[in-house]
Amino acid sequence: MASRPSDRPIIELSNVSKTFGDGQRTVVAIENVNLDIQPGEFVTLIGPSGCGKSTLFNIVAGLLDAEGSIRFGGKPHNGCDLLGKVAFMPQKDLLLPWRRVIDNAILPLQVEGMSRRQARAMADELFGEFGLAGFENHYPHQLSGGMRQRVALMRTFLFKRDLMLLDEPFGALDALTRMMMQRWLLDIWQRHNRTILFITHDVDEAIFLGDRVVVMTARPGSIKINRKIDLGRPRGAEITTSREFLEIKKELLAAVEEESMKSFRIAQQVP
Amino acid sequence: MKPSVWLPPLLVTALFLVCWEIFGHLPMGRVKVVPPVSAIAMDIIHNHQLLLRAMLHTLTEAMVGFAAGAAFGFLMGVLFAEVRILERMFFPVFIISQTIPVVAFGALVVIWFGNGMLSKVVIAFYLTFFPVTVHTHRGLLSVEQQRIDLLRSFAASRWTLFWRLRLPFALPTIMTSLILGSSLSLVGAIVGEWFGDTKGLGIMLVQAMYVENMVRLWSIIVACGVIGVGLYAVLRFVQTRWIWWGNET
Repeated sequence: MASRPSDRPIIELSNVSKTFGDGQRTVVAIENVNLDIQPGEFVTLIGPSGCGKSTLFNIVAGLLDAEGSIRFGGKPHNGCDLLGKVAFMPQKDLLLPWRRVIDNAILPLQVEGMSRRQARAMADELFGEFGLAGFENHYPHQLSGGMRQRVALMRTFLFKRDLMLLDEPFGALDALTRMMMQRWLLDIWQRHNRTILFITHDVDEAIFLGDRVVVMTARPGSIKINRKIDLGRPRGAEITTSREFLEIKKELLAAVEEESMKSFRIAQQVP
Repeated sequence: MKPSVWLPPLLVTALFLVCWEIFGHLPMGRVKVVPPVSAIAMDIIHNHQLLLRAMLHTLTEAMVGFAAGAAFGFLMGVLFAEVRILERMFFPVFIISQTIPVVAFGALVVIWFGNGMLSKVVIAFYLTFFPVTVHTHRGLLSVEQQRIDLLRSFAASRWTLFWRLRLPFALPTIMTSLILGSSLSLVGAIVGEWFGDTKGLGIMLVQAMYVENMVRLWSIIVACGVIGVGLYAVLRFVQTRWIWWGNET
């Protein structure tokens, strides 16, 4: 799965930069980001907080304009014409409280113009796989945090796009739930054959999930390390204590810490 | 509902009415000021047809004005939320229009629209539309950017954003303004009748006041209260039944 052959990357970013504000008070959020993602790949992205991870995500989702070149599916794109082309899952589940679980999951399908009946039929078969069987007609406030996150993931899956962007989807969950969700996500990913770009600030999570871990520098963010993870799949929990895993972790942790210190010092210099 | 919910307030009300009744029967000719509950109840029973007709009249005025005001207020709120240039042009005018007490307009409205039902509808309308506009506007604009971004990432159109996100998000706020507007519309209809009318609770109040008919005054107050409570109960029912999501995230 990790080294599936492919003709060309699903998305190619070259020299992508983004500056906020104008006049004297400008902030360069990301600078000259170069990143290719192959179809079927699971790429995890880590970096110190405030390094522009979310900015990069918003650009790839089409929510923000940026300088530089973005090729999606081989064709050049700029800014908002990426809207509707990738499946985007923000940090918060952002479920709509007035919609039942199933109606939250089918929201993107309805936005695309599918009828409610048809969309519900499509969603129905996924409930077991997403661990939500029997909860179709509950409201979001009746669910636990882990379940809400699975509904949000299901919503992202139902928006059938080649590339999925997940922004710290498990950040708010407790450690146990989080580990279960990680294994479950790998399972789903392998069965559904999607491409995933996954933000996290947890090095373990990044290594455990990814075919490749990308480390971003402190602001202005760019790519510091692009590390292939040659751990076999399927991966079980025991892999996180293996020697290989720990070696990769040592290497990446050093890089992340170095950048975190930099962004900490930048923050200290601000008058 | 469980008895533990409705029993305590019911007991307090009963106790209050008993005290009132006793107070009304005390010597010192108090009947003129605070008639006993039983006297008011008898007056209501004997004149129920008269009161019902007046209630229906006033309620109709209030409801027509309320419906028109709510519809107009909602449309204005949507317009101001969606078209920011209109908001900057007209919103201040809306606010200023509400700083003038409606009573100051009363006589004028009756001269313009006659002393029939229309003038009271206009006053009820005037009192209703403003809170509905303000709440609709605020509710529609209070949707967090992240939620809008999520729907935009699904390539949602502006209409979809409005219909699937902004409007349902604003409904609880709009509902609050409808509850407020309904009681204001009732005040508008009653006060409007003071400027000239022949039927309705407002004009009955004025007539009872002139002849110092204390019992009748209280009967009319009860009738006004029944309408007010009724309107509130209906809207609260709608709110808890269909628009229950309030300020959850």
